[in-house]
Amino acid sequence: MNKKGQEEIIGFVVIIVIVAIAMVVLLWFLINSPSENTVEDFEVESFIQTALQYTTDCEDFVEFLSVQDLIISCEENDKCLDERSSCVVLNEILTNIIENSWKVGEESAVKGYKMKIFVDDLEKITMEKGNVTTANYKGAFQDFARAGTDYKVSLNIYY
Amino acid sequence: MVIKNKKAQMKIQQMMFMLLAVTFLFILVGVFFLAIKLSTLKQSATSLEEKNAMLLVSKLASSPEFSCENAFGAKASCVDFDKVIALKEMKEYSDFWGVAEIEIRKIFPASNEICTSQNYPNCGIVKVFESKKNALPPSTNFISLCRKEVSERIIYDKCELALLMVSSEEKG
Repeated sequence: MNKKGQEEIIGFVVIIVIVAIAMVVLLWFLINSPSENTVEDFEVESFIQTALQYTTDCEDFVEFLSVQDLIISCEENDKCLDERSSCVVLNEILTNIIENSWKVGEESAVKGYKMKIFVDDLEKITMEKGNVTTANYKGAFQDFARAGTDYKVSLNIYY
Repeated sequence: MVIKNKKAQMKIQQMMFMLLAVTFLFILVGVFFLAIKLSTLKQSATSLEEKNAMLLVSKLASSPEFSCENAFGAKASCVDFDKVIALKEMKEYSDFWGVAEIEIRKIFPASNEICTSQNYPNCGIVKVFESKKNALPPSTNFISLCRKEVSERIIYDKCELALLMVSSEEKG
């Protein structure tokens, strides 16, 4: 009778220990899950919006072109007033803007970025740096149209 | 008599073990659900904080004291650099915003020089408002910092990329 009671207690204790371990593991996961993201969608969205409004040093006969105008100018193979190719200027400016805004590195919160520019749904320009294979990313896109052509700029920031 | 006593003691021990184990189990279950609840609460607090910060930054960027209005065409999240520099000198606005600090930092082209009326616009950091109160870490958002610029041929709109940083006051 005594032995049976002891066996029952041991069985119960074993069950309790197993349940306790399972709960501690789950708790550990809950506590260690990232509660806040380092990058937010709205940040990426406002970044694209403001980057497109940036005034470049590429001038046409009327004004200095914004990045948005430069994308259109690049698509039309136009040149700046100083004979530089608008695509070259666009590449250079966009790279500088992104790399100054999102510091990519192993010790940084941002591990990589991927920017794509589509013209009428065809991928025209792709820029990427760092680790862009992780599933942790925030992204946004902005589209605009000019003279019947649709342009889309998308950016993913990997963290 | 002795044997009966021992048996009773054993029974009491068994009961104690059971009670302890059951209590431990209930405590564990309680802690587990509390952790889940707290985690959800933390998530909603974070998202609320983010929303507030975003709203505050957007509100500031679109307020008449900062906004470009239509001076540079229809631009989103546009802040007028001239207005900001003028605003920086106005001490009357120190309690107007209800925040601890407002700072604008040019990202591209970057510069660590603090803006004054002497070095404007060749500078990178505008401390629009700075209180002596304890400030929380800033909420930030990207803005276009625009001004009128004169080149050899034309007067044009020059918009640069900047971060608007707003720090709230620490409560308590």
